[in-house]
Amino acid sequence: MTGTLREREKQQYFPSEAEYDRLLDKRSRRGLLVQGSLLLALTIAVLALVTLLSTIINDSFGLVAQVNQVEPEEIVASHGYDPAAVGLGDLGKDELVETLQGGISNNVGRRLEREQRFYEDRLVFESQAKWDEICAEGDAPAGCSSGERNQANVLLLVEERIVAPDIIATDTLVGSLLNPEDFEQSVEESFVANPARYGDYTFDQVRFQWRAWFSWQFITSPASASPELAGISTAILGSLWLVGITVLFAVPIGVAAAIYLEEFAKPSRINDLIQTNINNLAGVPSIIYGMLGLAVFVRLLEPITSGSVFGDYAPNGRTVLAAGLTLGVLTLPVVIISSQEAIRAVPNSLRQAGMGLGATKWQTVRSHVLPIAIPGILTGTILSIGRAIGETAPLILVGAAGFITTSPKGPFSQFTALPIQIFQWTALPQEEYRNLAAAASLALLVLLLILNAGAVILRNRYSRRLQ
Amino acid sequence: MTSDTPDNVGLDTAARADVDTAAMDRPAMAVPGEQGTPSDRVEPTPGTVGSLSPSPDESGHGVLTTNGMDVYYGDFRAVADVTMNFDFNRISALIGPSGCGKSTVLRSLNRMNDLIPTAKVTGEVLYHGSNIYQPGVDPVEIRRRIGMVFQKPNPFPKSIFDNIAWGARINGFKGSKSDMGDLVEDALKHAALWDEVKDKLKDSGLSLSGGQQQRLCIARAIATQPDVILMDEPCSALDPIATLRIEELMMTLKSEYSIIIVTHNMQQAARVSDKTAFFNVALDTKGQRTGYLVEFSPTDELFTSPREQATEDYITGRFG
Repeated sequence: MTGTLREREKQQYFPSEAEYDRLLDKRSRRGLLVQGSLLLALTIAVLALVTLLSTIINDSFGLVAQVNQVEPEEIVASHGYDPAAVGLGDLGKDELVETLQGGISNNVGRRLEREQRFYEDRLVFESQAKWDEICAEGDAPAGCSSGERNQANVLLLVEERIVAPDIIATDTLVGSLLNPEDFEQSVEESFVANPARYGDYTFDQVRFQWRAWFSWQFITSPASASPELAGISTAILGSLWLVGITVLFAVPIGVAAAIYLEEFAKPSRINDLIQTNINNLAGVPSIIYGMLGLAVFVRLLEPITSGSVFGDYAPNGRTVLAAGLTLGVLTLPVVIISSQEAIRAVPNSLRQAGMGLGATKWQTVRSHVLPIAIPGILTGTILSIGRAIGETAPLILVGAAGFITTSPKGPFSQFTALPIQIFQWTALPQEEYRNLAAAASLALLVLLLILNAGAVILRNRYSRRLQ
Repeated sequence: MTSDTPDNVGLDTAARADVDTAAMDRPAMAVPGEQGTPSDRVEPTPGTVGSLSPSPDESGHGVLTTNGMDVYYGDFRAVADVTMNFDFNRISALIGPSGCGKSTVLRSLNRMNDLIPTAKVTGEVLYHGSNIYQPGVDPVEIRRRIGMVFQKPNPFPKSIFDNIAWGARINGFKGSKSDMGDLVEDALKHAALWDEVKDKLKDSGLSLSGGQQQRLCIARAIATQPDVILMDEPCSALDPIATLRIEELMMTLKSEYSIIIVTHNMQQAARVSDKTAFFNVALDTKGQRTGYLVEFSPTDELFTSPREQATEDYITGRFG
């Protein structure tokens, strides 16, 4: 209002009409340019995601070239049926057991029978006297107490043991869809060029068929030495155990620490230092946490992580508990920071309202701050789940098992996890393992999606409750 | 500090005002027995006040008395040397230009300033004669007795019922479910909100209009059985009709509660308050702005014949 610029001077500092129009054009162009670059960035991000997904899916399904030790048709014919009309799966249980008896050694048969009996009322491979003796022992095998195998179960055994398919080459989804002939041709060429590689098989025996590597059977089967039969149920269960332990460890501790830092800690040099450290810890490479886990949870706390102080024990501290705690420590900073942000976002007016009524700090936090912060805290939980389920390096250090076929039964079990399984499969030279790794990646993504969806639903329920 | 002269004058005015109100407005008022004993430190002119007091309860000590109160934020002195005496069951208004520390003074009266880590209060704030800043005094108890209503309506994101019941519950309300219902109804009736919300007590407090929300906040404050209610610009976020309702409400509430209100609106102070304090701000040599009390007089006196030139300038709109 002091009027240092007179009207005429003001006019001089602004551009003329023509100049203004030119400047305006320039400004609009610049805006469009920025908008374009932003769109480009988004496109690149989406492309990267699409490429990732399509690569995985491309390897998870497709044609395979397979040779069978015994053709299913032969088996069907041996039971007096017409192979053109009857498939292997149409055979009765008795016929399948008979086939099995003819095709596997008595030793293998006895082992299968001890896992689960073929019939309730009679034994196929074992003598009654021996069976009674085995079942009378302290650690009787599962077959003594479980029911009999059904037709589907025996069919699987026949397929696995008698038909014994061997996949000699695989094709991608795109290749299988666009030109399957190329695939067949390349397999044939390979037979011509290098017949020794295929042993006794001839190209005529090769069957080309579709295979979904990512299938229900893949998800529910344990690991196996043969890629045709390998599954990831052990790895999925291992990952679920890990996520469970991680969340149970990191979320309560992280939220408590965040509440303290946000609501109770007075500004002081020490608290500033702690805060800075937490922020930095969130960026520490996971392998460092792996070393910490190895030193602390696997070695130092071995009596606890191996369960020996609780009676139930593993041979060493390389258990799902040690790994879960390691991942818990790893995700702790993320949980703390996101919880802090959620707590900070609660309007101060609510705290004042609570305190103004004569509530203590904790009463106010408990009744008014936490309910509003919970959706944000759950976001932190989602992040920690995502990290825990995808981490590989620390798990390798704390000793995830390379190959186990038994699912984890408790916190003191040996374990493997999906990323470990993927890592190991990708390291193997055979073509089939690439497909298995892709299918396992798909499973990992689906699992992550399911867990996150669960947390998101929980979060939305809380957000809705506040309105 | 530049605040020396006006402060002294302010004290005189305050003392004189006490004489007036004590003599004219309080012939036989029932005052709670917990009132403190008179103290010479509190009243700079004890002779006048004491001689006019009919009983010890009417000794001239109000429900709240500040005595040489300074408020600091860190090293910065926000308010200097405030000495004032708030009467029982009266409405006292604090007015003044922005940054003069009137909200700071208000928040120091129930230790809400404790929530700001750097805030520090020196001097005395006597509530029924005892210093609320004395070591060993739990601010939680103070805040229950001296309730607060904030500038922006801030109901909890809970049901209307829970908004009111919560304060009672956390303060150890032992009554049955129906007692709680009575308490809520009573508080809502006191806040002149009952008729509007009696059919939707389960609705969220946030579903109400701004004015209703503010009355809900007043009901919430009443429910913990305070005897002083501090109001920090309670109508600044409300439209004129809602403002009027709150003002009417304050007039009825003052029969049971002592109310201290900070307002930017001089007309509001003139309309509702019995006594008005004018705060001003002084710049010291380092450019720091410190608030000080200019005068504290019966409202009609302050607005018609202010003792200080600064007050007159302010109320006639010459600055601020």
